[in-house]
Amino acid sequence: MDNTQLIGQVAVIWFLLLGFFLVAYVVLDGFDLGVGILSLLPSEKTRVGIMMQSLGTVWDANESWLVVVGGILFGAFPLAYGMMLPAVYVPAFLLLFGFALRGVAFEYREHAENKRMWEWAFGIGSLLAAAAQGLILGEIIAGFNIDPGESQASLLAWLDPFTLIVSVGVITGYALLGAGYLIMKTEGEPQAAFYRLAYKIMPYPMLVAAAVTIYTPLVHTYVMARWFTLPNLFLYAILPLIAIYAYYRLWRSLEQQSETGPFFWTLIVFLSSFAGLAATLFPYLIPTRLRIYEALAPLNTVVLMLAVVIFFVPIMIIYNWYMYRVFRGKAEDLPAYADDE
Amino acid sequence: MSEILNVEMLSRVQFAVVAGLHILFPPLTIGLSLIIFFLEASWVRTKDLFYLQHTKFWMRIFVLNFGIGVVSGIPMEFLFGVNWGPLSTNNGAFLGNLLGFEAVLAFMLEAAFLSIMVFGWTRVPPKAHLAATGIVTFAATLSAFWIMSASSWMQTPSGITLVNDKIVISDYLAAIFNPSFPASFLHMEMASIELSLFVTGGISAWYILKGRNTDFFLRLLKISLTALILVAPLQVLLGDWEGQNIAHHQPAKLAATEAHWNTNPPGTGASWSLLAWPNRETQSNDWSIEIPYVLSLLIHHDPKASVIGLREFPREDQPPVLIPYYTFRIMMAIGFFFAGLALWTGWLWWRGRLDMTHAPRQRWLWRAWILSIPLAYLAVESGWFLREVGRQPWVIYGIMRTEHAYSQIPLQSLIWSLGSYALLYTTLIVIGFYFARRILREGPDLDTPIKTFSGSHKPSAELAHRTQGS
Repeated sequence: MDNTQLIGQVAVIWFLLLGFFLVAYVVLDGFDLGVGILSLLPSEKTRVGIMMQSLGTVWDANESWLVVVGGILFGAFPLAYGMMLPAVYVPAFLLLFGFALRGVAFEYREHAENKRMWEWAFGIGSLLAAAAQGLILGEIIAGFNIDPGESQASLLAWLDPFTLIVSVGVITGYALLGAGYLIMKTEGEPQAAFYRLAYKIMPYPMLVAAAVTIYTPLVHTYVMARWFTLPNLFLYAILPLIAIYAYYRLWRSLEQQSETGPFFWTLIVFLSSFAGLAATLFPYLIPTRLRIYEALAPLNTVVLMLAVVIFFVPIMIIYNWYMYRVFRGKAEDLPAYADDE
Repeated sequence: MSEILNVEMLSRVQFAVVAGLHILFPPLTIGLSLIIFFLEASWVRTKDLFYLQHTKFWMRIFVLNFGIGVVSGIPMEFLFGVNWGPLSTNNGAFLGNLLGFEAVLAFMLEAAFLSIMVFGWTRVPPKAHLAATGIVTFAATLSAFWIMSASSWMQTPSGITLVNDKIVISDYLAAIFNPSFPASFLHMEMASIELSLFVTGGISAWYILKGRNTDFFLRLLKISLTALILVAPLQVLLGDWEGQNIAHHQPAKLAATEAHWNTNPPGTGASWSLLAWPNRETQSNDWSIEIPYVLSLLIHHDPKASVIGLREFPREDQPPVLIPYYTFRIMMAIGFFFAGLALWTGWLWWRGRLDMTHAPRQRWLWRAWILSIPLAYLAVESGWFLREVGRQPWVIYGIMRTEHAYSQIPLQSLIWSLGSYALLYTTLIVIGFYFARRILREGPDLDTPIKTFSGSHKPSAELAHRTQGS
């Protein structure tokens, strides 16, 4: 086998791995951020305490998947890392700023007398982080309307209606996932409220997903070419069909007051959207400009890193699963810092 | 454009602010987790409630510190890509790799088991809990291993070849265990342990001075002291090793650290300046207080050995002098003060002056211990500035200059983000300090039973009485 072929295969494996870590991050921190976004709704203000308690034991581990994504992108695709991040300077900054706000909110709320202030920080930080992720995602789908790696004209070059719409989709999608998580973690009156909330949020991510699905091929010829050629069309059509079915089941599970259904079916919606995105982008990291093969670090490095990461992925999954198991159960029963004393 | 208000300089300042404030937290995470692990293990082994009470008390400080550490640390990883795009692109094959390893092997492990360490007391058996604490401790040091390896590689890049300006690793182990790494890692690890021992010791001293729970804290202070009598002098030796390493691999950095401008001719011996005012313009010191032969002695352990002076390097390859020169002297003075304080206190202990009757009267001793807390942080910070500034004008020593490493970002964006980071981090630290102070004011709760998996541990009447304080 010649080298180019090998590079191609290793690049694909890394693309899939990056996808895996991103999915793990989006799902785990997604519900985490979603709970934060929901906490900002005026009707939920009285329940913020229990909402934060439902996350107390897991938010740190959830967020660390993003650190893994960052590390993997940096190590395996350094060219993409160094080109993409400066191009999304402002959203990346908002993302980190939002993380910082909500992270300290968890810590400091425990100690503070004025808890309300930290509850705001938790909510606003979560919203900022989710919005920023949406902006970055929009920028990636749009193929960067600013030239990555080149000097940029202005502070707000990344801002346009498309990225804003994608951002709304991410925010409401996370909120839906968060509501699903809270349904699992609560009972009685709060749980009933979260059912109602999930019901109300449900249409928004669906509308955004539909809009993006229609808009993207119209604007990007490469997407059009990819989706609407014949054998491809059937393959790509499967994903929206799965998403639509999952939406139907989500709606049913809310009607039937299923405890785990809402979270599970939202998860399926996420996974199918994600798979759609990955399949559309592939083999590009920056559409039409940077392909995974070009962005890949030298072969000997990525192969070694691959061996290490593949070995540790199952271990990471096992101990994260163990952690979730130790702290299973309803949020009221979870230990808080205060119980510790 | 002005000297400060340009993209390169502001990117550097932004990294310095984020890294400089972040570095205040991981050392305590590393060292204190080790101390907590020791305390908890002692409890599991002896069932002496003293250890459990201390474990619980220090855990509160640990969690607070860890939280701010994570929050201030996540931006660091992304700053590489955001502000230093060309650096990341050209060197990602190694630097990104190590950060990836750090995330996958260490950071994730630490985050997951921290939950069990903090919240798991009633959910897992004591031995499983101790294991979680042990894993957190291990992961904290493992994190330091990868980060220090990456940082050291930027000081002494090795194990690589350059292909079109991009690095390709030719020898992985040589790159990870680059020449600067062993001394730097051990020096940093020891600094973390020393800092944490002075934090536990200094806070204990504060309680002793206040006469609160004297018995409870005197016992801990003696534990910290025992460790420090070993650690503090050892750290001075490790510092010396690090210095020789720099002399060997980064002579310009060493010359700047010592404000040593002219290579001394063979057979004369270089003198060591205790204090000086280095002047880059004139390439000499405006004034200095010097001790003959000492620099040669320090660097080569030979009073007449030749030490390369800064003038040997073209001006554009010289690091700034003032910051390395003074940060080194601050760090060194503090290091010797620490070794002295540990030995002095050890001597008092040996003479029987650290018992319940004599100890509370040693007011100046306790004040020195309290002072050692901010000094320990100052020493870490000085060491870090010396290390990073001394590497300039290179970002990867001898391979990539800082001026070629930064991303072209609108100046406006940079001004905004720098301002926000500075404001946010300062606020975080001030509030964190305020909460830490409150935890200390409240003091340990020695009366309420502690709930663990196997039941409730009540303080015995005798112990409760003993720890009431005077």
